[in-house]
Amino acid sequence: MTPHRGVRRPKVRSFTLRNGLRVLLAAQSTSPTASVWVWYRVGSKNEHPGITGASHWVEHMLFEGSPRFKKGEIDRAVLRVGGVLNAFTDTDFTAYFTTVPREHLSLPLAFEADRMTRAAITDEEVDRERSVIHSEREGNENWPEFRVEEELYQLAFRAHPYRWDALGRRRDIERMTAEQLREYYRRFYGPKNAVLVVAGGFDPKPIEVEVRRRFSGLPPWGSDVEVVDVEPPPSGERRATLSGPGTTPYVQVGWRSPALRDDGTVATLVLDTLLGGESRLFSGGFHWRGSREHPTARLYRALVEKGLAVRATSGWSPRVYPSLFTVQAQAANGVSGDRLERALEAVVARLARDGPSEREMSDVRTRIRRGAALAYEGATSVAFRIGYFSTLDSLPFEDRLYERLLRVSRREVRDQARALFQPEARVVVHYEPKGGTGSE
Amino acid sequence: MSRTNDPLRLEYGREVEGLSLVRQSPPAGAVSFSATYIGPAGWGFDPPGESGTAWAVNQLLLSGAGPYDRLALARLLDRAGATLSTDCDPEAAEVSIWGPAADWEKLLALLAEVVTRPRFAPEDVERVRRQLAERQLRELAQPGSRADRELLRAIYPRGHPYRSTGLGDERSVRRIRTDRLLRFHERQYTSGDALLIVTAPARLSRVETVARACFSRFRSERGPSLRFPPVLPGKARTIPLELPGRAQVEIRVGAGAISRSDPRYPAAFLANEVLGGAAQLSRLFRRIREAHGLVYHASSEIEAMRFGGYWTLAAGTAPERREKVVALLARELAQIADHDVSASELQEVRESAIGDIALSLESTARAHELAIEVAYHRLPADHFLQWPALLREVRVKDVRAAAEETMDRRQAVTVLAGPSARAGRGNRASGVS
Repeated sequence: MTPHRGVRRPKVRSFTLRNGLRVLLAAQSTSPTASVWVWYRVGSKNEHPGITGASHWVEHMLFEGSPRFKKGEIDRAVLRVGGVLNAFTDTDFTAYFTTVPREHLSLPLAFEADRMTRAAITDEEVDRERSVIHSEREGNENWPEFRVEEELYQLAFRAHPYRWDALGRRRDIERMTAEQLREYYRRFYGPKNAVLVVAGGFDPKPIEVEVRRRFSGLPPWGSDVEVVDVEPPPSGERRATLSGPGTTPYVQVGWRSPALRDDGTVATLVLDTLLGGESRLFSGGFHWRGSREHPTARLYRALVEKGLAVRATSGWSPRVYPSLFTVQAQAANGVSGDRLERALEAVVARLARDGPSEREMSDVRTRIRRGAALAYEGATSVAFRIGYFSTLDSLPFEDRLYERLLRVSRREVRDQARALFQPEARVVVHYEPKGGTGSE
Repeated sequence: MSRTNDPLRLEYGREVEGLSLVRQSPPAGAVSFSATYIGPAGWGFDPPGESGTAWAVNQLLLSGAGPYDRLALARLLDRAGATLSTDCDPEAAEVSIWGPAADWEKLLALLAEVVTRPRFAPEDVERVRRQLAERQLRELAQPGSRADRELLRAIYPRGHPYRSTGLGDERSVRRIRTDRLLRFHERQYTSGDALLIVTAPARLSRVETVARACFSRFRSERGPSLRFPPVLPGKARTIPLELPGRAQVEIRVGAGAISRSDPRYPAAFLANEVLGGAAQLSRLFRRIREAHGLVYHASSEIEAMRFGGYWTLAAGTAPERREKVVALLARELAQIADHDVSASELQEVRESAIGDIALSLESTARAHELAIEVAYHRLPADHFLQWPALLREVRVKDVRAAAEETMDRRQAVTVLAGPSARAGRGNRASGVS
């Protein structure tokens, strides 16, 4: 694969081992670091009631020991050479990453191979980790935004596993057994369901030899199981109101969105940029401290500048199955949730009626071009992007997406807005603060 | 003038219109550029009764400058593929720009416009006032930020710059007026005692020339200095803050500490790393999360600023476990001051900190953060080249002494913000309709 002239991705060498492990190597001779990512095509989409949160729990357990690396040894080995490591669980995938000074690249390769099929998931450690996971969930529950989003997805989906958060339901966290987690791990983890990405400062030939040596002997385990629960089309608006401690009313509205490979994906990405301002997937920007505002975005101009909200954004990440496109806003003091909802609705209705202006489209294209030019800086970013696109589809998918984003027309975007923002597909959750800010 | 390509060896330039210039090479392979202005415009400089002013001015710098109104500025940044950001603390305010390295001269000129010629349009002032008001409510409502706030109020006396989180109160925010903001900007956003840090693929002489052209209208007067009322030694105490309806209690333990330039800093830094700073290597993580499973997050931090600082332990846990977690935090604090750390523990956190420097050279943005730290604290230009040797000089007894002197548990304030008991299943403070 050669570097793409639009997306400035480094040259990638890719191959698949006999056991099914897909490997992508992106060497950058000047990089002082090396980043190793292992992506498993397992996430909360693979769970069912009773074991919601299993993917996330298994993610935690992969730091609790394997044959060569006992509990805590992976963390210590990486940190004592100055590296960083972590993992995250999404609806569609679970990703483990380690970035180290380049001379220590063998270390993450060794433990990723070790824990790919042989993680120790003991009864004792599962029970201890249960309370850590409860604590993680409770920390999130302190935020109204988390509670609203969890409620939104629960309302929007009746059949599909996207209806629960990757953290899992409280009751399932209380009851899930170590054996259930081991079974889950055995089913979904293994080379056949994984993508290994190595990026940064290394010589590709010896690293390829090392990857083959460490990973080729692993059994061809791991399944990418298709979700069979199909969500029926929405048949009417659904809404809920939550209340609790907070500042001002907060409203989130969602509509059923296309899946990653659907035709509407490109236009929906543009809608997200027009409404919320983020050029998701092709963004070179990073947020230093504090959240970034987008004064050119429609929601910001209509709600924040007009004094109705203090924050207003949209959100959409393409997923394997149809998911939700959302808009959300935090009211300015004295503005009711109902008024906020009407204002959000008016913005999307106008976009669906008139479509974007040519100037807006030109601005979006420029931002995507600029973002793509800076997106591949640093080994960690390189490995993340290569792994993300390869896990969800392929690297050429990124190139096609980029090219289509630069060609999509105003009309296509308007038509997608009309298809997306259907009143009968709308899900609305309000959060009403009550009880003030707490005792003095 | 010599040119260095090592991002760890900064170049201090000549003053540019009174502004101290620092130049850094981008890391190898980087395609982006960063520049930051840091001036004496933190919330410690808020006029009496007008707290929130520094924060508001800092935010308003993003809302238009010179010939560009808010929207025009945002479009300009979008088209350049650049990001403008601001930040503020008690001592200083930062304004940073990041974007394509090829356009660094244009972007530096834009940064100068933003710093020197903000617009303060009435509608933007009103918007920032609304946002500030909501931030105040959020600070009070969220257990984490509420605990941070109350800890600082307990450690520092009235009038101390570090006592506040900069957001002001309802009354002070109501008093924000454009003329006051303009006055603050004129007085505090000067080149006197200010820095311009540039991470760009250019020689220092070129950066000086461009910076001089960009900042030619900058006033170089020095503003007033911060005043620090004495912090009298306090007694250890606990402040419970009942915040019903939350799922988790946030715990903070802390007291005053040392400044970044204090000679004890390397030892205090390592003591903090052992205690809770070095993520999964640290004792708080290993002993409270990994051994007991009591928390998801448990960490410690030394906030070492130019004129002083404070240390904090932080953890979040369920209401029924709060006493146990507080006891474990206290035990770990006592351990680090009363007993030597093991040689292997010290070795681990030291090598971790040294190895981390390589990771900072992954991107321009991360390397630039190192440059900001060096320049702001007036450290030697090659500080991060010397840093490994400084850390290797620290002995086990130095760590213990630093912990004892700079993380004094006899003065530690403990704040518990959250519910004192878990709400019953049918009595959650929320309902679905």
